[in-house]
Amino acid sequence: MSCIQVLPAALCPAAASVLFYQCGKKSRFAQMPGMYKQVIYGLVFGLIAVFATESGISSNGVLISARDAAPLCAGLVFGAPAGVLAGVTGGAERYIAALCDVGAYTGVSASLTTVFAGILGAALRKWLFDDKRPVWCYGLASGTVLEVVNMLLVFSGNMGDVRQSFILVERYAVPMIVLNAGSVTLAMFAVSVLAGELSRAGRKKYRLQLAQAFSRWLTFCVVLAFAVSSLFIYMLQTRLAVDDADEMLSLYIKDVRADINDASDENLLELTREIRDDLERTGNFEESTLFALLKENDVSEINVVNDRGIIVASTTPEYLDFDMSSGEQSEEFMTLLNGEEELVQRYQTVSYGGVSMKYAGAVLDGGGFVQVGYDSKRFQRDIDEQVTGLTRNRHVGENGFMLIANEDFNLVSDPAGHEGMNLGVTGIRQHLGLNSESGSREKWSPEGGGRLLTEKVYGEECYLMYDVAEGYYIIGVMPVSEVVFGRDVSLYITIFIEILVFAGLFVLIYFLVKKLVVENIQRINRSLEEITGGNLNVSVDVRTNEEFVSLSDDINSTVDTLKGYIAEAAARIDNELEFAKTIQFSTLPSVFPPYPERTDFDIHATMDTAREVGGDFYDFYLLDENRLAFLMADVSGKGISAAMFMMKAKTLLKSYADKESDVAKILSSANTALCENNEAEMFVTCWMGILNFKTHMVQFANAGHNPPLIRHQNGSYEFFRSRPGFVLGGLDSVKYRSGEFELAPGDEIFLYTDGVTEATDVHNRLYGDERLKNVLNRLAGADAGNVCRGVKQDVDAFVGDAPQFDDMTMLCLRMIPKHMITIDPKEDNMQAVLDFVEQTLDRAEVPVNTAMKMNIAVDEIYSNIRLYSGATKATVECSVDDSLIMLVFTDDGRPYNPLEQDDPDITLSAEEREIGGLGIFMVKKTMDEVTYEYSEGWNRLIIKKKR
Amino acid sequence: MEIQKTLNGTALTVAVEGRLDTTTSPQMEEELRNSIDGITDLVLDFGKLEYISSAGLRVLLAMQKIMNRQGKMTLKNVGDVVMEVFEVTGFVDILNIE
Repeated sequence: MSCIQVLPAALCPAAASVLFYQCGKKSRFAQMPGMYKQVIYGLVFGLIAVFATESGISSNGVLISARDAAPLCAGLVFGAPAGVLAGVTGGAERYIAALCDVGAYTGVSASLTTVFAGILGAALRKWLFDDKRPVWCYGLASGTVLEVVNMLLVFSGNMGDVRQSFILVERYAVPMIVLNAGSVTLAMFAVSVLAGELSRAGRKKYRLQLAQAFSRWLTFCVVLAFAVSSLFIYMLQTRLAVDDADEMLSLYIKDVRADINDASDENLLELTREIRDDLERTGNFEESTLFALLKENDVSEINVVNDRGIIVASTTPEYLDFDMSSGEQSEEFMTLLNGEEELVQRYQTVSYGGVSMKYAGAVLDGGGFVQVGYDSKRFQRDIDEQVTGLTRNRHVGENGFMLIANEDFNLVSDPAGHEGMNLGVTGIRQHLGLNSESGSREKWSPEGGGRLLTEKVYGEECYLMYDVAEGYYIIGVMPVSEVVFGRDVSLYITIFIEILVFAGLFVLIYFLVKKLVVENIQRINRSLEEITGGNLNVSVDVRTNEEFVSLSDDINSTVDTLKGYIAEAAARIDNELEFAKTIQFSTLPSVFPPYPERTDFDIHATMDTAREVGGDFYDFYLLDENRLAFLMADVSGKGISAAMFMMKAKTLLKSYADKESDVAKILSSANTALCENNEAEMFVTCWMGILNFKTHMVQFANAGHNPPLIRHQNGSYEFFRSRPGFVLGGLDSVKYRSGEFELAPGDEIFLYTDGVTEATDVHNRLYGDERLKNVLNRLAGADAGNVCRGVKQDVDAFVGDAPQFDDMTMLCLRMIPKHMITIDPKEDNMQAVLDFVEQTLDRAEVPVNTAMKMNIAVDEIYSNIRLYSGATKATVECSVDDSLIMLVFTDDGRPYNPLEQDDPDITLSAEEREIGGLGIFMVKKTMDEVTYEYSEGWNRLIIKKKR
Repeated sequence: MEIQKTLNGTALTVAVEGRLDTTTSPQMEEELRNSIDGITDLVLDFGKLEYISSAGLRVLLAMQKIMNRQGKMTLKNVGDVVMEVFEVTGFVDILNIE
């Protein structure tokens, strides 16, 4: 019944915890500010504490309830403020209840405990568990500690009556601890189950912290020491208490026995003196006189012993002539012949006749002595009056008492007033050998006794001891509870104090380990995390104690050594990369202009690698006189692997370009070859074109590369977009399509890699297609080298201080604008030719003197063609760029190489000089380069002059 | 090409303006041959001559040969371009250039 009454309040914390935990996960409650939630938690748990008080069982001024569970639970599970609030609420109400006389005896201690419960929960959570919900076993521990504190408060608050308060504590400690600790544990266990911490996965996630491992071992050791010491104290105190009881009972029994003996001795001595006096008065020891005295004094035996110790007269004729010194019992009386006046013996069984007798002797004036004996009947009649009630008012300790029973175990003295009744009325049965509980079958006897026995006396388990005096059984009785009270008090207090000391130690060790070890380890860990994250400049500096100093120093020196190695390795790698870069660059055409003899086109390329070696590459080469292959490619990835893949791709493309004439086929073949054994899964994008100088058509194919920009003469740069094929090396058997466009003299094409368009500035903006197009249009018409440099400058200006992450590679192919007239050499159209050349040079702002020299050359060469070649068709080209003036004369006349003609001897005098051959000689002398070729029916003379 | 002739007794000064090339040289040769008889001192003023080609040189060589026989031929105001041609062709050695 009592159990059921307090259970609802004990289950409330668990129910509330589950409810709040679920609400905290979802619902609108979860979004409330933390402080509001704390107030709600605090009030709800405070109300649960109030409910617990109201539903508690009030008994003997004590209130049994699960009140302390709620604040503790609030503090541990939901947070410090909630715990404190709940504690104060519950505690205040309990105090008020005490004022109204409900459980008043423990009022102050109980309300203090409730406040303390909230503070304990709050403090543990805040300082011991880093404001996290601890596992349920801490609930069990803290609940126990809390109630122990409660019990100690009950003690210390009621020191005036230790016995009373201890009885309360003894009675209520276990229920209170079980109720409160159980309630908290249940609540925390329920929340743990909801949080999934107890599932296998949850346990796996939960690794024992260092401090917890320490605490666990500490718990084990302390509990062991605790058990051993408690057991020891228990045994020691029990022994001491029993010894005390033994001693006490012995003393009491001794007192009572002495009283009985004294009374009995005095009685018999008095009789003996009277009989002696009568005998001396009559002066004879006649049998009749002795019998008369026997009858008169109602004794059983009168013997007269002479001065030699021989019985000379006796009421028992068999004793006549008995030598007193011959019997053990009678021999004692011989002292009366040696100066003693009187002697009285114990009531005892005499060897003769086997009856119990008591003897006394008194010395006669005429020598010898009179011995008087009486048997139990007479003896008991004499002293029963004195013994009866002798122990009625005797107390042994507080609740112990004395009993006296006669030889027949009939009570003679009993504080309970059962005189005359059999001893069995008290519950004692073992005197009959009938105590089955103790297993003792030994009947009490006058020879036994003096040992501590246990039996229920008047319904209470007692220690008892008996002894025999003058045929009476003197029995001392002490309740066991009183005997062991001291032991129980010290045991309880010891256990309580040990629990507190243990809890204190636990917290202290937890804190110390956390402060001295865990926090330092965490600091070191944080540093190590940074170090492993790549920041080798972090140093570990934990100097709280010798071990950590040496650990820090070791880590620092390791990192330093590592740094050294890394720097060394980095330097070596740098060297190797630099070397690789040199090799890589050496494989790309890097001498500009690459074809100085070619005046019809101008090609330039640059590569800037972000890292030492990159994956970009360009290439160009003349397949034959009329075909130029040029390409731009970008290998996926960076570094040595990309560079090696690039080498492979470059070599393959070139070798296939030599064999195949179709660009699509070149790419297809290269793709197939690159796909073989491409385990690194690298690929390369590539745009490749082959320019035919005769047709001015470019055949191209694109393997996933950026579209080039093309500018036609007098036009502007535009992206030349075509549907690209798949990247090279990505998929075997990919087919590429080739396309064609015209690249006439004056046209330009610009190829690049995404490093150009994807260069980023400090604001992370991309350089982009538009900027590239704009800068190219600003640079239109400049020679290829200047175009590349101009673009690079523009990108650099855009990028600013932002680091460059990608290679930047570009190629510009420029068809030099051609100026040419076609003439019929059969007619004299020298002037037209001259005008053409002159205008061309004039437009190019060629200095007059140079122009004059060019005119001379035109005059000489064209005259020759017209006058001597027999040609029907001729063309004159004139092209000028920043550095060079070029004239090309083509005619279909007789093959004739004017350069083979001997030079005239210019040292001869005027008379001797031949005029022939002077024209071509002059041209050779004034021009920088003159070349002749004949092919397919055409004479071709090329004249170059530096500006 | 324009040719301006100034006759002073047996001295003839011919100022040539423009170009002395394949096209114009025959005209120059004809002009000189027509007016050279009895001239002992032929002065060619090349101050306004733009350039001279091998055809022009041929005319000068022919005139020099004639004048070697009947007097002397002097060239004056020779410009850079023309001078360079003379140097390249060795004509500086056979012509009398002021």
